[in-house]
Amino acid sequence: MTSYATQARSAGGCLSGPGVAGQEGWAAPDARRKLQLLLAGVWLLDAILQFQAFMFGKGFAQMLAGTGPGNPAVIADPISWSARIIAAHAVMTNAVFATVQLLIALGIAFRPTVRLALGLSIAWSLAVWWLGEGLGGVLSGAGSPVSGAPGAVILYALLAVLLWPPRRERPASFVAGRPAGPAVARALWLVLWGSLAYLALQPATTARGAMSGMISAMAGGEPGWLAGVDRHLAAFLATRGGAAAVVLAVVLAIVAVGVYLPRPAARAVLVLAIVTAAVIWLAEGLGGLLTGGGTDPNSGPLLALLALAYWPQAAVAPGRPEPTQPEPA
Amino acid sequence: MAGQTWLADTFAGVMLVTAGYCLARLVISWRRHRRTDRQVDAVHVLMGVAMAGMLVPDLRVLPAGGWEVIFGAGTVWFGWQAIREYRDRVTLGRFRPHHAQHALGCAAMVYMFTAVTKAAKAASGAGMGGAARYPTLALVLAMALFGYVIWTADRLPALARVSALVARAVAAPSPAVVPAGPAVVLDAGPGVADDGLSPQRHAGPPLSPRLAACVEIAMGVTMGYALILML
Repeated sequence: MTSYATQARSAGGCLSGPGVAGQEGWAAPDARRKLQLLLAGVWLLDAILQFQAFMFGKGFAQMLAGTGPGNPAVIADPISWSARIIAAHAVMTNAVFATVQLLIALGIAFRPTVRLALGLSIAWSLAVWWLGEGLGGVLSGAGSPVSGAPGAVILYALLAVLLWPPRRERPASFVAGRPAGPAVARALWLVLWGSLAYLALQPATTARGAMSGMISAMAGGEPGWLAGVDRHLAAFLATRGGAAAVVLAVVLAIVAVGVYLPRPAARAVLVLAIVTAAVIWLAEGLGGLLTGGGTDPNSGPLLALLALAYWPQAAVAPGRPEPTQPEPA
Repeated sequence: MAGQTWLADTFAGVMLVTAGYCLARLVISWRRHRRTDRQVDAVHVLMGVAMAGMLVPDLRVLPAGGWEVIFGAGTVWFGWQAIREYRDRVTLGRFRPHHAQHALGCAAMVYMFTAVTKAAKAASGAGMGGAARYPTLALVLAMALFGYVIWTADRLPALARVSALVARAVAAPSPAVVPAGPAVVLDAGPGVADDGLSPQRHAGPPLSPRLAACVEIAMGVTMGYALILML
């Protein structure tokens, strides 16, 4: 398998410049690599957030334990078990969590380890989705797109799959379709956004005051400007929550089917997806990043990143050598 | 420090090692005429010492206000260098903002020291306290630094090993015969950017660009950590 860098070296000769391969030896990031780097940036932010003082205390374990109730016993019992272990060894376990996330971030950013790090991120995300997020509240009925359902961490796993650098790419007009093919990628998109639309119509979102309550709860501990935005939004939705949930569900459903539309319409729908993700992120209080207790930026930025991975580009020929192949040692 | 003491000690230790390494680069560059970006190495020495003092109060070496002045000047200097790089992009045919990240780093240091001073006055506790003013700015700075960390890590495999640089220097012992096209002078990567000295002043190969990049990664992660603690 020939990497871009190897191709460039053979075509362009030896390294140039003191200590740097320069343009001859370093392939500028293509669209997928840029998205991988954005994903690595989010992982790095997660890792450093995990090093916050709050995460080393009992409060973090209690937060994890709180995701268990309402789930079936087979899901909830392991959550309680892991929360007990984390509570008993809060410093050590959290240090390990943060370090793993740091390694994932740097591993994705470092080209020779990108596959290893993406693979680790998938396994890690699935474990955290279960033991740390209670499957995003999907089975407990507490999940709502406004509060981050189906769980931000599962989106990391999905992104890792869709941004995976395959040995042999499949022809697709968008980055997410190249590892497994456009049909599979579109089906994943449909399932994700379709499930968001479904969750938007569940009582956790449509009940009187539910959406308003979720948003106003996010305002606690936020800086003034963000708390003000969330309070105004919550006040607006206090009597219009049901209608807003229906509108949100319709928008999410349009986004879900949008990737099957012709290219211009698909692009418009992807812009709508990014705008929706931004609104959701605002309603999520930016994931609580500014409160000193946020563990991740929540689902908003990841949904936007996902939309970018589906942005239609020029189609690629089958068998095109992928650009993020690890360089030979 | 608002975070764990052992963690602050660890990060402070990393910063001191980093500062010591950059100081060694400066000395070796001066004594053996090896190419390095002396401005960047010098500011990394200062940043390492300053960050260690910020994370562990016992390691403070300057009175309040001292670091703000130094890094304020650094922000202006590297900001000016970055503007020059941007302005010259047409002449050079490409834009590689080597100095923008150092301007950002210096600005982040100014912010942190300003915020620490205010927080210390408010809490009268030791070290950094949380709840700095303008926490949104802290988050923005941290995210920008993380962006540079990721960008630097992405470029890391493209940087040549020292052994390759030595081999090349042996093959071309006289600096005068080394091709000095734009790629040589301008695409020098982290830690080996043109330092303004004539080629004849550099007798040996450049100092390790990979380790220089690792310094930037360590510095960015630690500064980002300190900024996140201020949220």
